[in-house]
Amino acid sequence: MKNPKFGYARPTTLDEALDLLASSEDAKLLAGGQSLLPVLALRLGSPDLVVDIGRVPGLDEITLAADGSVAIGALVRHAEVEDSHTVAGYAPLVAAAMPWIGHRAIRNQGTTVGSIAHGDPAAEMPAVCLSTSAVMTAVSARGERSIPAADFFDGFLTTALEPDEILTKVTFPPWRTGDRGAVVEQARRHGDYALVGLSARVHVTDGVIDEAVLAFLSVASTPVRVAAAEESLIGSAPSTDAYALAAEVVSNNLTPGADVHATANYRKHLAGVLTKRALEQALMSEVAA
Amino acid sequence: MSPQNEQGVRVVIGGTIDIECTINGEPVAVETEVRRSLSDVIRHEVGLTGTHLGCEHGVCGACTVLIDGKAVRSCLMLAAQADGADITTIEGLADGDEYHPVQQAMHDAMAFQCAFCSPGFILTTVALLDRKPDATGDEIKQELSGNLCRCTGYQSILDGAAKAVELMSETANPPGQPTADQASGERSDV
Amino acid sequence: MTDQRTQTSGLGFVGQSVKRVEDARLLRGQGTFVADVIPSNCLHAAFLRSPFPHARIASINAAVARKLDGVVAVVTGAELEQMTNPFLPFTQQAGLYTPLYYGLSAERVRMVGDPVAIVVAASRHIAEDALELIEVDYEELGPVASISQALNPSSAQLWDKANHNLLYDHTDQFGDVDAVFASADHVFTETFSCPRQSNQPMETRGTLVEVDPVTGDVTVRSATQSSHALRWMLAAYTERTSGLRSLKQFLTNSDRRSGFLAGAKAVFAEKGEALQESDNAGMIDQIKSDKSTVPNLMRTLAGVAGKERYVKVVADDIGGGFGAKGSVAREDVAVAAVAMALGRSVTWIEDRVENLMDGGQAREEDLTMTVAVDADGTLRGLKVDLIIDQGAYPATPVGAALTARIMQVMQPGSYRFEAFEQRSRIVATTKGKYVAYRGPWANETWARERMLNVVARNLGMSQTEIRRKNMYGDEDWPDPANLPTMLTGPTLDVTMSVRKTLDRAIELADLGTFDAAKADAESRGKWFGVGFASYHEAAPGPPNYFDSINPGTGALVDQPGRVTVGVDGKIRVFTSQMPHGQSHETTYAQIAADQLRVGIEDIELVFGDTSRTPFELLGTGGSRGGPVGGGVVRKVSRRLRQELIDSAADLLEANPDDITIEAGNVHVAGVPAKGVSFADIAAHHMKAKGTAIVDRDAVFDVDDNYNGAGDGGWSVATHVCWVEIDKDTGFVEIPRYLVVEDCGPVINPAIVDGQVRGGVAQGIGAVLYEKVAYDERGTHQSTTYLDYLVPTSMEIPTIEIEHLETLSDGENDFRGVGEGGMIGAPAAITNAIEDALDVTITEQHLPPSRILELAGVVEPD
Ligand SMILES: Cc1cc2nc3c(=O)[nH]c(=O)nc-3n(C[C@H](O)[C@H](O)[C@H](O)COP(=O)(O)OP(=O)(O)OC[C@H]3O[C@@H](n4cnc5c(N)ncnc54)[C@H](O)[C@@H]3O)c2cc1C
Ligand code: FES
Ligand code: FES
Repeated sequence: MKNPKFGYARPTTLDEALDLLASSEDAKLLAGGQSLLPVLALRLGSPDLVVDIGRVPGLDEITLAADGSVAIGALVRHAEVEDSHTVAGYAPLVAAAMPWIGHRAIRNQGTTVGSIAHGDPAAEMPAVCLSTSAVMTAVSARGERSIPAADFFDGFLTTALEPDEILTKVTFPPWRTGDRGAVVEQARRHGDYALVGLSARVHVTDGVIDEAVLAFLSVASTPVRVAAAEESLIGSAPSTDAYALAAEVVSNNLTPGADVHATANYRKHLAGVLTKRALEQALMSEVAA
Repeated sequence: MSPQNEQGVRVVIGGTIDIECTINGEPVAVETEVRRSLSDVIRHEVGLTGTHLGCEHGVCGACTVLIDGKAVRSCLMLAAQADGADITTIEGLADGDEYHPVQQAMHDAMAFQCAFCSPGFILTTVALLDRKPDATGDEIKQELSGNLCRCTGYQSILDGAAKAVELMSETANPPGQPTADQASGERSDV
Repeated sequence: MTDQRTQTSGLGFVGQSVKRVEDARLLRGQGTFVADVIPSNCLHAAFLRSPFPHARIASINAAVARKLDGVVAVVTGAELEQMTNPFLPFTQQAGLYTPLYYGLSAERVRMVGDPVAIVVAASRHIAEDALELIEVDYEELGPVASISQALNPSSAQLWDKANHNLLYDHTDQFGDVDAVFASADHVFTETFSCPRQSNQPMETRGTLVEVDPVTGDVTVRSATQSSHALRWMLAAYTERTSGLRSLKQFLTNSDRRSGFLAGAKAVFAEKGEALQESDNAGMIDQIKSDKSTVPNLMRTLAGVAGKERYVKVVADDIGGGFGAKGSVAREDVAVAAVAMALGRSVTWIEDRVENLMDGGQAREEDLTMTVAVDADGTLRGLKVDLIIDQGAYPATPVGAALTARIMQVMQPGSYRFEAFEQRSRIVATTKGKYVAYRGPWANETWARERMLNVVARNLGMSQTEIRRKNMYGDEDWPDPANLPTMLTGPTLDVTMSVRKTLDRAIELADLGTFDAAKADAESRGKWFGVGFASYHEAAPGPPNYFDSINPGTGALVDQPGRVTVGVDGKIRVFTSQMPHGQSHETTYAQIAADQLRVGIEDIELVFGDTSRTPFELLGTGGSRGGPVGGGVVRKVSRRLRQELIDSAADLLEANPDDITIEAGNVHVAGVPAKGVSFADIAAHHMKAKGTAIVDRDAVFDVDDNYNGAGDGGWSVATHVCWVEIDKDTGFVEIPRYLVVEDCGPVINPAIVDGQVRGGVAQGIGAVLYEKVAYDERGTHQSTTYLDYLVPTSMEIPTIEIEHLETLSDGENDFRGVGEGGMIGAPAAITNAIEDALDVTITEQHLPPSRILELAGVVEPD
């Protein structure tokens, strides 16, 4: 299980990186390598050129803007996000996702933005992006553009990024007063990719839910929201009944696949169970109050 | 990552790359194929075979090394990515005949059997205790769950890591003598 | 750990958790696993493997691959057939057909991962590059992906000379089965299925064949559980000489003759009587099925005879095996043959994907259990219909055939049945090879202990009641001169103390607490259950155990051992055991040091190197390391002590009876100041014996054999598992797990506990996490560690262990403990889950989705 042959480049500026990416039909960007390198080792892919952006300056920061939004740069490792007070305070759903991602040694090397760019439907961050309406900043030699999370995840391991684009940062909008959230999942073993998971964000005003986003992982070829379940929550007060109804709608609306780890029916059922748990966890303080 | 080689690199397919880094405190320079993983280079080109390969796809943790003090999978890193890095492998822990406290604690706990997994567990524990010197049993169990062991059922390894917490807090403010390596034959106080 | 030892050895180290000698190198990363000792100029091998479960190879073209820079050789299956002999039937049993096969497949592939070509190149990277350049034209044939497909007459047939896909079909009866079944109050039947599991040692397989460019000497370094078996089989399979030429060489070349005889004597000459007794019917059946067995067998024997120099096998540190490294691999033969042909060193280090495809799979069995029982719960009769899915290629030397026999012998377990019948079948399927896996027969325990619970539920008894009522106990062997036997043959004695472990387990489990625990779990949305399971295992078994499996084998399993003292006083213990995690260097040092009254550090254990260790084919396996491996160390060390004392008496001009040894100082009792060292005695002995002693490292040299004879005995345990199952997710938690075991005197409690825990962890893995998955098309779906789930520290609970130490009156009381954890655990866990769900469970693998299906919460897809 050894890597195939490839060319390697390690640019030291963003422009150089963009040029390199554009220079080859079959160039692959290498960030933390925790998804790309297993693919290469198993010889499931064999790019002509690997562009290691590890030394490109300016991509390794977590920045808090005046409006309370948090931007995570392309080279920030999961572990840095996990340990960041800024993220814990201003992007709590991102922080909540971190412990679910593999193990610490994977998080020490893998990047948070890389896991978004990779677009794995079993990964946590794409669902978190959906549930928080994160905004992607993509840069190419042609310029910079912003892509809302809702338009970003196109299919299994495919995103709206063009082959010559680098995702330089992902911005998580301000966490408002009244925002509540939870990331909940169930994996066969601790640290495994989830059988099913979800990132839930609900907004409560005066004891009534007026916004709800339920973004699921591992149930389709992309992270998906279940609009009907979200709608079922709007206008109700946080309550066991409301959660149960949402859970039922979730189970009825999702069409997950089967694999060696679980059947499709089980995943549907589990999605409902986890919906309830996520809502309970997110709204615990509301119910207690 | 701190003191790294900031130079850019452009290598054609099948080419080689010069890497300079520090391994266990010693400067190391190798020329290697760009496709080689850090683990292959450490094992075969540097000759430090204590870093083991159990899966080569990131799951078992046997290949764990410390880069700038942090535990990473050396099988999931190109050697080229580690250019300029400060690397610690299992061979770099003991001080001469004296075990590192984590090794000592694992020895005392009779943590391992075949010990093929041991470099990964020991280095992961070292990194954890560096970050959380007073890690609790639950934290230890969580952190070490990224490493697979097929022989022990883990209890003895978790006991060893818990012992290491004690041992290192003692060494941090030593009440008595440092622990000497009595590699064999001593009876534990069972 | 609760350590309630009732007895400890009076001598010192045995019985103590002496810290591991092995750690000094292993914890520092200074072990020498096979992948660590590859010379820099060594060539690297990689195998081209079939992507199809079953296909004909229409053509194979390696021309482009051969031209790739760095490639030294590409050898295809057809080419390898010209260089080697086929794997031959090692186990002969009436009714068994063993297909012959080579290191690589030439005409047909029979599993995903079947090797069809070997590439040897300057690096593994280049070798893998070359694999992509080899073109193979496959014509797909039908898959045989399950036991039911194998038995379906319309399925494809894997082996032309077999009876469709049925390789073995044999029935034995013990007692008057019909009468017992006719007279019993009830008969219950259930079929239990265990899916495929894999041993998965953390170190994969690997072999380095070093060829000395000057002398041509071959040294094979390998991760093997038996270096002698590997050496013999490589010698046999890697030289394809014509029988006549070989015979001529044998007759005319004295080197060859003596080389052959030296080895052959060890196997055959001394055991001739035993072999004559053995079951010739097996060989006759084999030859009837496949006449080419005869010339191939002759060629193989001639190959051994014709070997000018036997290969030497050296095994150092090994990263676990659990049975998977007990087999001689097809890859080993291919690598060795190519290295010898090239005259260059070649290595193959298996990667994890290869390992998951064909590094060893196990356990896939269906067992239909029919029990005759009286209304009061008295077990009367047992009928078992066993079918083993052995995959495509039979493992050599120990595979499904031997396992079927062991399962039969152990099947009635610790219970007093009056009659027993077993039909055993082995089928061929398009899957990875079935190997021995820690307690290879474990499914007899699983199915029986499951069935007992089914019977108990039907009769309204508790799981502990039915066991206690029917279990053998001390009242069954009042007269040591007249011991009872299991229905299947092996003798039972005081060491079969399984009921003591059950009683102690019942005490510790505190049955009275279950109701409250159940109510508490219910209040948290969980189902609660407790499962018991008991077993006895032959570790090493009574003297007639091996003969009960296959007549004649008993005499083949003598464990040799040797101890020497050099002129420098250095003590070396030699064993044919092949440590791979069991801490032999520590435990054997404990045993020898106690006998010789020296320190642990004074003992060096020599293992793994066939040029230094005594000949024996089993190596490490079968929980034999402690009882017979340790037993022979004790035997030779004790004899050595007497020789040392006698010689010291001569030196000190004293009466041997007055001599004692204390911490390596040999002296007349009461006058330690005038003592002498082992080196002094060795020097004296050397002088006294004159030229009779040629080896300065072995001035004293004691060797002997031991097979547990007279006092072998059983290792026993009861496992109790508590489960709580989340009603919403089906996730199983194990809040408590208890093992009460009795392996006689414990040599090293921490090491024994480690063995037990490791075994239980594998049992937990089997039930809740691990499954080698093939779909109905034969596609292999678990070829990475993302799909084959080895449990982590988060999945394994704390395991409580209680030791009982029943002593027999024999000379040596150590009994084995390596396998037991894995034998008891699957039964205890599945029994607990059944108790919690209150439905009958017939399968062993119970992932959360299956649990909720069984509970009726989720429909199957
Ligand atoms: C054993 C194991 C367990 C894991 N478990 C989980 C888990 O439970 N949950 C989870 O979410 N992840 C898991 N991961 C994956 C891990 O989170 C990765 O770090 C992450 O998916 C990818 O980040 P990376 O920096 O390593 O990306 P790389 O591997 O370097 O790149 C991945 C892909 O994204 C592209 N890419 C990366 N960065 C950018 C960018 N800035 N712009 C454009 N394209 C880019 C690359 O070209 C490549 O195609 C696991 C990995 C392993 C090995
Ligand atoms: S070898 Fe790197 S994680 Fe297994
Ligand atoms: S001790 Fe053998 S794998 Fe951990």
